[in-house]
Amino acid sequence: MTPVYAWLREQLMLLGEAGLLPSVFFYEFVINALLCSLVIGPLLGCVGTMIVAKRMAFFSQAIGNAALTGVAIGVLIGESYTAPYVSMFSFCLLFGIVLNYTRPRTRLSADALIGVFLSISLAVGASLVLYVSARVNTHILESVMFGSILTVSDLDMDVLLVVTLITLLAGLPLYNKMLLGSLNASLAQVRGVNVQAVEYVFIVLVTLITVACVKIIGAVLVEALLLIPAAAARNLCRTLRSFVWTTMLLATLSCIGGIWIPMQWDIPVPSGGAIVMLAAGFFIVTTLIRNLVPGFREARL
Amino acid sequence: MPGPAIHVRDLSLQLGASPVLTDLQFSIAGGALHCLIGPNGGGKTSTVRCLLGQMPHRGSIEFSWPGGTRGSIGYVPQLIEMEKTLPLTIDDFMTVISQNRPAFTGTRRSAKAAIDAALERVGLTARRRLMLGSLSGGERQRLLFAQALIPAPDLLVLDEPMTSLDEAGARLFEQLILEIHAGGATVLWINHDLEQVARLAQSVTVIDKRVLAHGATATTLTADMQRGVFHAPVAGRAA
Repeated sequence: MTPVYAWLREQLMLLGEAGLLPSVFFYEFVINALLCSLVIGPLLGCVGTMIVAKRMAFFSQAIGNAALTGVAIGVLIGESYTAPYVSMFSFCLLFGIVLNYTRPRTRLSADALIGVFLSISLAVGASLVLYVSARVNTHILESVMFGSILTVSDLDMDVLLVVTLITLLAGLPLYNKMLLGSLNASLAQVRGVNVQAVEYVFIVLVTLITVACVKIIGAVLVEALLLIPAAAARNLCRTLRSFVWTTMLLATLSCIGGIWIPMQWDIPVPSGGAIVMLAAGFFIVTTLIRNLVPGFREARL
Repeated sequence: MPGPAIHVRDLSLQLGASPVLTDLQFSIAGGALHCLIGPNGGGKTSTVRCLLGQMPHRGSIEFSWPGGTRGSIGYVPQLIEMEKTLPLTIDDFMTVISQNRPAFTGTRRSAKAAIDAALERVGLTARRRLMLGSLSGGERQRLLFAQALIPAPDLLVLDEPMTSLDEAGARLFEQLILEIHAGGATVLWINHDLEQVARLAQSVTVIDKRVLAHGATATTLTADMQRGVFHAPVAGRAA
């Protein structure tokens, strides 16, 4: 895919030089990050609606924390510091599947069990990361935790594209089934949905997406971008259709704005932090609209 | 297609230490309107969930579909809580159950006709743009019935579908069930309204952890049986 990226970058840089796009388009890494955000926004937005429907926000948080452990393991076994994808994908997938396997096999409620896993993954992840941080430049770890557009490479873009493709191919045809499974598992089963299998597919997709977005948004904050745009859209929407499309739009705007605004005005904040703060801004605005604009007050249940 | 016959042999279900069902044995003829009755907590819903393959049980349950091909099963569950936090309308819900294409990309034209017809039959057409969270109990039960109509069921399983309905709704449901039965489908109906059972069902099974009685309604649902099995609950409900 590298020649395609190069061609895209070249076109955008030409537009930047000609003054048709903001001056930040002069930089290759900004263009990389913006291209990524055009993919990440709709992807996280769409999956986020399902995360909200399934009440699994904390699950993706736990996966994000597990990614920290994945990075630390990667560094320990000698993977590249900047892209320890093998360790991240394998550890996070293992973590997610074990968590989902344990869920129906304990007497704990789902949120309590996820809380346990989340704490474990944070404790192990933080400890291991601090342990290996003596060996590597700590900025790398900082960027894994909170995102950094400076380090987005062609490999990262490839990974993101492949994960997006997998999600489209596997996730879209199962969207209705996943939703029905979370509305009423028994009804879904009678209607021919293999509820458990669909659940595992969803877990795997969320895990893949979380890992693929770590570079841009950071392991600690991916969960926020899965949750906050959907929460913001929920404030205003009354149909599934408007809910999903609004969520995708807000997530995309957050990503683009979170990358572009700090670059344009030289604000030294990590991209993940800026993206999530922007998304939080949307949430605050929509909450105000819902409570102050009469037409939306009725949307309250 | 006519509905399937159902043969239940030695069905037992154990949850934890307590036996819920013990050696159930009965058959339902294809195309019959069959009611399951029995005291509360007697295992009627558990029996149905075993039939639908949702509970790990011992024994065998056999569906003999005419022609050997499995037809479609419509299931109207007991009144369930519906998602209250999602912006999901009646139309959205019906789209979700009717097509594979993601519901947020719109309703297929081929699915739309069936959805319109199903909502019309249960009297929800005027309410179709309401969110699930704002529906009354009766409206939720109508929606649960509407989804069971798509695709047209050859076996219709109902679990006390009328508990929250007003009188008009109950009459409508009764008429719908009779229409579906008249079309050849097998109907398996958990029903606590013994007057209605006596009036409509061709056969009944009385369940209280085991089969207390089974057979044609007229010979099974005798006055003695009603007094013996239902005395306390029926009196309680009347009071």
